Amino acid sequence: MILNMADASLRGQLLRLLLLPVAAILAVSSIAAYYLALEPATDAYDGSLIDAGLALADRIHVRDGTLAVDLPSAAEQMLRTDKFDTIYYVVQDPAGKPIAGDSGIPLPPADRRPQDGSIFYNASYRGSKVRAATLLTPCGGQICTITVAETTRKRDRLVREILLGSVMPQALLAVLTLALVWFGVARGLAPLERLSGEIRKLSPRDLRAIEPAQAPAEARPLIEALNQLLVQVEESNRNQQRFLANAAHQLRTPLAGLRTHAELALAQPLSDASRAEIEQVHSATVRIARLANQLLALARAERGGRVEPHSPVELKRLAEGAADEWVHSALARDLDLGFELAPASVSGDTFLLREALGNLVHNSIEYVPRGGHITVRTGTRDGCPFMEVEDDGAGVPPPERERVLERFYRMPGTAGTGSGLGLAIVREIAAGHGAALEIGDGAGGRGCRVAITFPHG
Amino acid sequence: MRILIVEDDPSLASGLARILEAEGYAVDVAGRGEEAVGAARGERFDLVILDIGLPGMDGFEVLRRLRGAEHRVPVLVLTARDTVSDRVHGLDLGADDYMAKPFAMPELAARVRALIRRSQAQTGPKVVHGPLTLDTVARRAYLAGEPLELAAREWAVLEVLLGKVEKIVSKESIIQAVAGWDEDLSPNAIEVYISRLRTKLERAGIHIRTVRGFGYMLEEFKAR
Repeated sequence: MILNMADASLRGQLLRLLLLPVAAILAVSSIAAYYLALEPATDAYDGSLIDAGLALADRIHVRDGTLAVDLPSAAEQMLRTDKFDTIYYVVQDPAGKPIAGDSGIPLPPADRRPQDGSIFYNASYRGSKVRAATLLTPCGGQICTITVAETTRKRDRLVREILLGSVMPQALLAVLTLALVWFGVARGLAPLERLSGEIRKLSPRDLRAIEPAQAPAEARPLIEALNQLLVQVEESNRNQQRFLANAAHQLRTPLAGLRTHAELALAQPLSDASRAEIEQVHSATVRIARLANQLLALARAERGGRVEPHSPVELKRLAEGAADEWVHSALARDLDLGFELAPASVSGDTFLLREALGNLVHNSIEYVPRGGHITVRTGTRDGCPFMEVEDDGAGVPPPERERVLERFYRMPGTAGTGSGLGLAIVREIAAGHGAALEIGDGAGGRGCRVAITFPHG
Repeated sequence: MRILIVEDDPSLASGLARILEAEGYAVDVAGRGEEAVGAARGERFDLVILDIGLPGMDGFEVLRRLRGAEHRVPVLVLTARDTVSDRVHGLDLGADDYMAKPFAMPELAARVRALIRRSQAQTGPKVVHGPLTLDTVARRAYLAGEPLELAAREWAVLEVLLGKVEKIVSKESIIQAVAGWDEDLSPNAIEVYISRLRTKLERAGIHIRTVRGFGYMLEEFKAR
């Protein structure tokens, strides 16, 4: 069975596949049952018509050389009486002339030959359908014809009863079968639904194998194949991770050498031109080193810090521990870096959280004009731990606030030498910790405040 | 003053050597861990600058061997790997300080000076910071050769700051270091002592910087 995209529903396919055969079986068996039941019943009714005809035959006499039917009215009454139907009859002499009974009863079709001395046929009489039997009987050495006809009410009733009695249960059975298929498929596919739920819970950060135990046996090969794929994806993730980390680490030692020699050169007496050149080399080196760090952090953040399992982190201590480095960078740019630190405990990856807060501080140091103020805060707000950096620089206009989170995006007209990776990394790290990242105005509508707020308690 | 640099990258090693030589230290360079352990066993160094990522015997092993031989030489660890576990590992094994590559030359020079000063303070009675000298045995202070009057609390605060030049010292840790068992010292009191110290030291070019909301930092002395 080929699943095409326009009709990929198993239930629909199965129903469609079953509907035609079930309908065919239903039709054939109904028709068979109908005829199987109808024929004996019709034969019985036909038999009683013949009986009536034979009773009439006994009453034909030759009187005074003419044929006559001697039927007392009580006997005629009995003959004509039936619970459902009206019975008509006619007796004809050998010349075909009616000698008793009702006039105008249709005769059998001319091409019908008698079988066992009688002919059965359907006709219409006095506006009703009738079933008639014609039989030939000896009368005065000749052959007379007796025709008995009755309306078909009894027979119609019988047909209805047969239809109700045999076709209806079968139709019900068919409907029931289809309904069972409909619900059975839903029920049978419920484990697949659960499986989808399990798979939906996976993410590149979390590629746990799926537990096959609760799935039906038929779905297990699927799960096993999926688990194998997950292992491969995880492995490939880890390789990429390892490669990036190694590359970043490998870059650092030569960069340290380059930077050291550039700084050594700058410490010597130089012509203005040479000094400008070497300063370019130096600042490029510093930039590359920062970029290497950021790529490393990004590689690690993308896996949600699963390299290092999350552990309790005190944000106040984290900020205090990194303060030395930040203060020196801030002083070099003549900025006032201050702290408002209150205890705030979260569960997370210390390296990544330090990188996130560091990126925010470095952004402010990079973009706030000389003489500006930067404040690092940690604590809890409405029971949620947070860390944030506020400055009184140019700020980020509201339309740009979403875009600055994109990788390598830099606001138009931005000075400085940033890579445009900083906030993208912060966003990854925040997401990996289930924390919200929010860019807003600084105090008094000036500058910028970027807050990372962690889930409650 | 003699420093051993253990670094396998020749370019970085030669750069470091030149910086430190310019600062007036005698410098030896070892490119391999085994070589470093041998050198430290044979001669006395005032500081070892140790790279963790060495070929063969790595920096962790070198550190273990140095400490195993009960060398009390200060060790500054350099690392290209900055994962938390590396840091903790390095400090657990008795490294005195660490720096992540790449680093700024002035910062390295400052860390080297601080480490050497600290190890001397543990062995000698005198702490020197530019024109300021603290005689910790006689408990006398001198500024440019002149005796400097310091109250007991001022002395205690200054001693804490001198132990961590160029590093932020939180107000809380100053209070802890200065207050006796039965005293309750307010952060405001610390501000008063700092302000008095500034009055006495600023004119000699010794600066104590306030780090807003956090603490103070005694800046590296720069001769004019």
